[in-house]
Amino acid sequence: MTASVTLTGLNHWYGTFQVLKDIELQIEAGEYVTLLGPSGCGKTTLLSVLGGFVQPTEGRVLIGDTDATHVPAVKRPTTTVFQDYALFPHMSLRDNVGFGLRMAGMGRKDRHARAEAMLDLVGLRDAASKRPHALSGGQRQRVALARALAVEPDVLLLDEPLGALDLKLRRFMQDELKTIQKQVGTTFVHVTHDQEEAMAIADRIVVMNAGRIEDQGPPDRVYREPASQFTADFMGENNHIPGNRISTGIETPFGVLPGDPAITAGAAICVRPEDIRADTRGSFQIGNAQLRDVAFFGTYCRAHLVPEQAPDIVLTAYLDAGRAWAAGETVALSAEVEDFRIFDAEQK
Amino acid sequence: MMRFLPWAYLLVAFVFIYLPVGVLVLFSFQSGGLPVPPFNGPSLRWYETILSDPDLMGALRNSLIVALGSSAVAVTLGFLAAYGLARHILPGSALMRGLLIAPLTVSYLIVGLGLLIVLTRTGLGLSLWTAAIGHVVINLPLAFAIIYASMGAQQQNAERAARDLGASEMKVIVLITVPMLLPSIAAAFFLSVTLSWDEFIISFLLTRFDVTLPVEIWSLLRSGLSPQLNAIGSFVFLISVAVVLLLELVVFRRTRP
Repeated sequence: MTASVTLTGLNHWYGTFQVLKDIELQIEAGEYVTLLGPSGCGKTTLLSVLGGFVQPTEGRVLIGDTDATHVPAVKRPTTTVFQDYALFPHMSLRDNVGFGLRMAGMGRKDRHARAEAMLDLVGLRDAASKRPHALSGGQRQRVALARALAVEPDVLLLDEPLGALDLKLRRFMQDELKTIQKQVGTTFVHVTHDQEEAMAIADRIVVMNAGRIEDQGPPDRVYREPASQFTADFMGENNHIPGNRISTGIETPFGVLPGDPAITAGAAICVRPEDIRADTRGSFQIGNAQLRDVAFFGTYCRAHLVPEQAPDIVLTAYLDAGRAWAAGETVALSAEVEDFRIFDAEQK
Repeated sequence: MMRFLPWAYLLVAFVFIYLPVGVLVLFSFQSGGLPVPPFNGPSLRWYETILSDPDLMGALRNSLIVALGSSAVAVTLGFLAAYGLARHILPGSALMRGLLIAPLTVSYLIVGLGLLIVLTRTGLGLSLWTAAIGHVVINLPLAFAIIYASMGAQQQNAERAARDLGASEMKVIVLITVPMLLPSIAAAFFLSVTLSWDEFIISFLLTRFDVTLPVEIWSLLRSGLSPQLNAIGSFVFLISVAVVLLLELVVFRRTRP
C-alpha cells in the first residue's frame, strides 16, 4: 500500500524555540524522499510529526486524502524504522516482525507465515527463531525494516536508519533499501544527515536548515543547481568567492562573470572543486595559482591552491589523479561560466 | 605468611556471620529438652513437634499468604507509579517521587503505631488484612524505587515502536513494558516477600487472633528456650534461603548475557 503525504503551513515550537518554520511539502505516493540537514535542523521533528509522535503547533498533515493531523501514532497508516531499531528484546524475530499484525488481530498461523515472508525479503528467514541480541547491527536494522513493513503501511518513515552501521554496510544497505522500496512501492521518507546517502537513494532530496526547507528536488538538480547557499555548502564541497554586482555582471577578484543575476549588491559565488580545471580551456580564467598542498583520493587529487589574483582566498580543486602534483608548483586554473552559482551575500 | 592473612580474615568474618545461624541449626537437631551444649543428637524430634503443631503451621500459612499477597499488591502499585512517573510529565512529579519513597525512612515501629491508631479509631478490626496493609506500606517504596530505577530509554523506545505498530496503552504495558522489566519486577517482588516474611513489629501490632509466624515465635519465646524454636528458626531460614536462591537462579542468571 502507498499514499501521498501533504504538509501545509507546518509550524512547531518546543517551548519558545521554533523547530519547524512554515513547512510546505508534497510527497507523491511511492516516492523515496530523504530529509537532509545538519543536526538540529528539525528533520527528525518533521518525521515525528509525520509519524504522529509530535502534534504540530500549527499546520496540517494529510496522508492520502485524509487529514491525519490529530490522529495518534497508534492509528496512523505510517510505521517507523527507529534510529536505535527499538526491537523487542524479549521476542523472537518472528514475533517482532509479527507484532503489528498481532495488534491488527491477525491469527497466529497467518501472522507467522507473513512474518517469515517479510524476514525472507530482508534475507533473515533462517534466523526467525533467534532473539535480537543474537544479531549484528546490520541484521537488527533489517529486522526493524521488516517489522515496519509487515503491516503494509502507506508511508514508511526511517529515522537515520543506517547511522549506526559501518561505511561498507551502509552503502550495501542503501542499495537494499532502494530495491525493497521499488519492490513494495510504499512511500519512504528517510531522515539523514549524510548527503552521500541522500544522493544514493532518494528520488527527491529535501534539504532542511534551522527548521526551514531550503531546497528540494532530484539529487542531481539539488547538487548541480542548489537553490540556496546553504544547500550549495551542505551538498558536497564548494569554493566561496566574494563578488559585487556591476552593470555587466558580477565582479570577482578574477574578472567579471557575465550575466544578469537578481542580486543588488554583494554576491556569494560558489564553484565546485571538480569544476575547476588545471588548464586555460575553460570559459572563465581564474589565472595562476600556487599549489599549497595536495592529497591523493584515488579517483582524484584534492588540492588547495592560492590564486595569485586573490591571495587571501584558498581554492579547493579536484585535480587529475593521473599526474604527479607537487606542492609549490604554479598551476593555471579555469572553469566554465555556467558552473558558477551566484547567491545574494546577504542571505545565508 | 602474608598470603594467608587475607584468607584468614575472610574465614573469621564468615565465622562471625554464620556461627550463630550454624549453632541455631545444629541445636534444632538436639534430642534433649534444652538448646544448649552438650549436643546430644541428632534427632528430628523437634521438627516433628513443630510440623504437628496446628498453631505454628497456621501461622506459617498466614505468613505465606501475607507475604505473597502484600508483595503482589506492593509491586503492582509500585510498577504503576513508576510507569506513570517515568513516562508522563506531571506537575510536582519530583515531590510525588519523594513522597512515594519517604516511608522507607520511617521506622517500622512508627508505621505500625500510626496504622494501629488509625485502624482502631476507624473501628476496623485487626486481622491479617491489616498486617498485609502495613506490609504494603513498607514494601511499596522499595518496589517503586527498584522498578523506577530500571525504567530507561530502551523500554521507552520499544514502547514507542509498539504504539507505532498499533498497540493500545494496555497492550504496550502488558506485552512490552512488563516483560522488558521482568527482572527488576521479580527482584522487587522477591525482596518484598522476604521482608514481609521476616517482619515482626508491624505484624505484632496489627494482628490479633490470626498471627504471622514471627509473632507466633515471639509468643513461644515467652514460655522459655526450647529446641522447638531452633527448629522453627531453621525452617524459616531454609525458606528464606530457598527464595534467595530462586531469585538468583531465575532472575539474575537470565539478565546476565
